[in-house]
Amino acid sequence: MTDSCSHSDAWLMLPWLANGRLAGAERVRIEEHVRGCAQCTREVALQRRLCEVLTEPERVTYAPGPSFRKLMDRIDGRQPVTPAESAPARVRVLASRGGSAWRPPGLAWAASFLLLVGFVGLAATTYRWSQPRYITHTAAPAARSAAVLHIAFLPSLSITEVGGALHRAGARVVEGPDGAGIVGVVPVAASTDTADASADLHALALRLHADARVRWVQPLPGATATDTPTHGPPQP
Amino acid sequence: MAEPTYRGASNAARETDLIARIADGDRKAFEELYYLYHRRLARFLTRLTRRYDIAEEVVNDTFWVIWRKAGTFRGASQPSTWILGIAYRKARNAFRSTARLAEKNLQIEQLPLTDETPTDTEELRDWLGRALAQLPVEQRLAVELCYELGHSCEEIATIMDCPVNTVKTRLFHARGKLQRLLPQLATPSSASADAGARSSAASPGQKPL
Repeated sequence: MTDSCSHSDAWLMLPWLANGRLAGAERVRIEEHVRGCAQCTREVALQRRLCEVLTEPERVTYAPGPSFRKLMDRIDGRQPVTPAESAPARVRVLASRGGSAWRPPGLAWAASFLLLVGFVGLAATTYRWSQPRYITHTAAPAARSAAVLHIAFLPSLSITEVGGALHRAGARVVEGPDGAGIVGVVPVAASTDTADASADLHALALRLHADARVRWVQPLPGATATDTPTHGPPQP
Repeated sequence: MAEPTYRGASNAARETDLIARIADGDRKAFEELYYLYHRRLARFLTRLTRRYDIAEEVVNDTFWVIWRKAGTFRGASQPSTWILGIAYRKARNAFRSTARLAEKNLQIEQLPLTDETPTDTEELRDWLGRALAQLPVEQRLAVELCYELGHSCEEIATIMDCPVNTVKTRLFHARGKLQRLLPQLATPSSASADAGARSSAASPGQKPL
């Protein structure tokens, strides 16, 4: 260490001794100290190594042409604002409006997911509430044709007995049976004329209604297709 | 060991002239200055932001200011100091706006840096880039301006708009951290001699400054 320069002063200036930007008396002063200081000598070597590494020609080739054209477009007003300027500007504008414009992407995704779950839950609940809490066998008139009789036999009847009863009544099965044992039947020899067909269906309903093994018939004989009951089947 | 070669004051007069012509709306002069600075700014900013797309946009933001404010340049400082000062402020703003992303990058970069000794200059530069990424942005900028772009302490103070002693302190702390992250820097390998030879063989035009 010399009288003209303390070690700590010299130490602070070593980067500029290494990059060659110390000049004049200051350079002389620092160099004089470094010559007598092993620690500073090592440090200068290290600093110069840093300079070498950072000033080495890069592997990357920069192409200023497209960037310059983009800049000229901006200057000429063909491209008013570049993303670099607009993005922070957007952030600033939003920040000034909302106080805290930016949120971590993860939080945004979580919020979106929660909203989505909420909407799905609401839609499911609304749909469920819009449906009747019970289902009747007559609750879907659209699915059942007015030209078809729906009947239910006693559960104790065998298939053969059901078949025999239908045969004797002159009916044939066109729907079912469903889970409740209800079948849709029409007259075996139905007329193509609407009025006759309705009369045939009415006659079939009467015959089936007269059979004690038939628990219920819809539409009931004497009732129209539109005033069918909407609640449970009548007791035999 | 030879000192690195940077672009010196010989270009200052030429660049001052270009800036004066730009103030008069000379597009040719503007293009010339842009091509003179694009590479070193892009390299400096890419190392700083670790994203070339942001670096390129900051370069253009810098030159957008130069185009509009060339008339305000009075030659009180070197043209390079004036231009780097603008770039520094633009980079700092861009860096803040992408700070979250940078933080994420830094978390990824928190790797042990001393498992192996880099075997050549390019590898050492890669290691150094990762070590620099772990420094606070102001320290990193001071390192880049000093070692890579070859600015004096006073010029860095002007660019960063801070006292000279602050520059010295920032570099002091940065040096300490780099030495802890890269102790192999203190033990120059054969690659050092190789790098030195390549460095002295390279023409000044190949250097960033």
